[in-house]
Amino acid sequence: MRKSAPRLLLSALNHATLFLFILVLIVFGLLSPKFFTVAGLTNLFVQASSTTVVGVGMTFVLLTAGVDLSVGSIMFVAAAVAGKLALGGTSLPVALLAIVSIGLVFGLLNALLVTRLAIIAFISTLGTLYAGRGFGLWLTQTRAMNLPDNFLALGASKFVGIPTPLIIGAFVVAFAQLTLTRTSFGRQLYAVGNNLEAARKAGLNTRLLLAAVYMLSGLCAAIGGILSLAQLGAVSPTFGTNREFTAIAAAVLGGTSLFGGRGGVFPGTVLGALLIQCVENGLVILNADPYLYPLVTAALIFLAVLLDSTRSRILAHWARRKIFVEDAV
Amino acid sequence: MKTLIRLILTLSVVASSVGCNKDDKASTSTAPASLTIGVAFETLQTEYWVAGYEAIKAEAAKRGYKVVEAVADGDANRQFEQVRNFVTRKVDGIILVPKDAKTCIPMIRAANVANIPIVLFNRPADKSDTKSVAVVADNFALTRATVDYMISEAKKTGKRLKAMILVGDLGDINAVGRRDGFDAAVKEAGDTLEVVARVPTEWNQEKAQAGVVNALQANTDISFIFTSSDFLFPSIVSALKGAGKYHKADEPGHVILGGFDGDATAWQMLSDGYLDATGVQDVYFEAQQSVQAIVDLRAGKQLPEVIRDAGFVIHRSNAKEKAAQMWGANVSRK
Repeated sequence: MRKSAPRLLLSALNHATLFLFILVLIVFGLLSPKFFTVAGLTNLFVQASSTTVVGVGMTFVLLTAGVDLSVGSIMFVAAAVAGKLALGGTSLPVALLAIVSIGLVFGLLNALLVTRLAIIAFISTLGTLYAGRGFGLWLTQTRAMNLPDNFLALGASKFVGIPTPLIIGAFVVAFAQLTLTRTSFGRQLYAVGNNLEAARKAGLNTRLLLAAVYMLSGLCAAIGGILSLAQLGAVSPTFGTNREFTAIAAAVLGGTSLFGGRGGVFPGTVLGALLIQCVENGLVILNADPYLYPLVTAALIFLAVLLDSTRSRILAHWARRKIFVEDAV
Repeated sequence: MKTLIRLILTLSVVASSVGCNKDDKASTSTAPASLTIGVAFETLQTEYWVAGYEAIKAEAAKRGYKVVEAVADGDANRQFEQVRNFVTRKVDGIILVPKDAKTCIPMIRAANVANIPIVLFNRPADKSDTKSVAVVADNFALTRATVDYMISEAKKTGKRLKAMILVGDLGDINAVGRRDGFDAAVKEAGDTLEVVARVPTEWNQEKAQAGVVNALQANTDISFIFTSSDFLFPSIVSALKGAGKYHKADEPGHVILGGFDGDATAWQMLSDGYLDATGVQDVYFEAQQSVQAIVDLRAGKQLPEVIRDAGFVIHRSNAKEKAAQMWGANVSRK
């Protein structure tokens, strides 16, 4: 009986984002009839697709107790190169391929810094963030680029009535979910996140695993960049700015721990991204005071960290109790 | 012989020193022969800042002055270090684009203590005990004039239109001035406009795009949009295209569009007939005034705390005549 209370609390904490998402939907739906329409919900899913995909990559990194602060810069550099190519007459598929390649190259760079030079992820990716932003600014000469209409057409296109960005986002989520839950690679990532040294002693190639997550994060940032670019149709010098914080918030709100070893992309990160976008969309539809937005965003981030730390505290408490019982025996 | 040589040398030294004094006097009263100016920008992440940076360097080069450059990438602490480096190098003047109105006050104080003139380019400081001169666009008045022009266009439709404003970063005093200018203009046009959406953008195109899409979904009949910076136009255009509402001014269903800055995208949209008006900051005037203020302060002249750039509103009727003054049009031609 005494055990059931913390278990219930943990279960509630694990599903808190889902409850919050439903609550937000109901509140905005009641306040504005225009919120709960097919068009409104489609907008929500399409606009959240980019954050979801970048958040998926971030989830892989966070699971290993790392962090990737460079995702926004990767989006910018990839978009800048694609923009230059597109304006130079390169076809859309080649430009998209260039975006994906740049994501992988930046991911590889982060992987080398973290695994070969043993620079902690926070510093490595912070360096890549600045280097990427600087390189992108040099490449664009701080000029905005309005891309050919085929980029916007990609964002507006549909397949069997479903918006293409939504399909791409769903594909990435499905791939990530299967990887994490159905492959040994996925299970090994959790092991690395729980205890890197123990995972290494158990024979796991931890360097390779860590390198893989940074490359996956770079790849996801590039795909997220494509989704944003397809909706915006332009590259500005601020493209992708602060996207790392949104991606981390989405992952953590979805239950992924900042300390590694716990979390997942579905429903976790997907719900986190939807919740963030839902709140922003709802505030615009209600014509809320612009001063309210940062307060609400801050509240969400605070909530995410609070949920994570409370979950961690409860789990740590349980671990201590188990040790105590074994000693007593 | 030796005495003769000494006499010739003495005379030549005296003559040359008299000549130098004449030059020095002339240079301090009008333009010094050579100055070194430290130019510290908070960021170069918009076309406007790059245009301003280039204009200051061009103005300095025209006068034969040397420029020492620094960019803080949005980091106020780094900018403080850069200003201190300028002070250590004993530059003759500092032109600063601060991150915000408050963090620049210690920088101004450091320059004041070293007796180095400091000019704030396009962003003024909060009230304090420090001494500086700010060269800034009149965000409030220029926005108001731009929106007034848009309202005059709206009146021609004979209907009461639904309006949207894209608000900039609320920590940026320029964004606040533009929002207030918009509010002042629409307050007196209640019979013509109803503001149904205020989209905060934090100067981020992606946020702006999502916000405009949602606002258009909630209010499908919005037909008047003002953006606090022209660099957000691609977000508006994308959303309008998605909603099937992007039409030229002479086409039915046109959404009245206006902005602020005068960048290359705005110039292109104006030339293509989609944009109604934008308030242009005269970046060349601001650069010239900033460098001149350094010269004047060094000469001990009293200057006002704020030198205003009145800017101008460009619209389809005066576009050809004003194009040469519009920095975005010049960038577009490069």
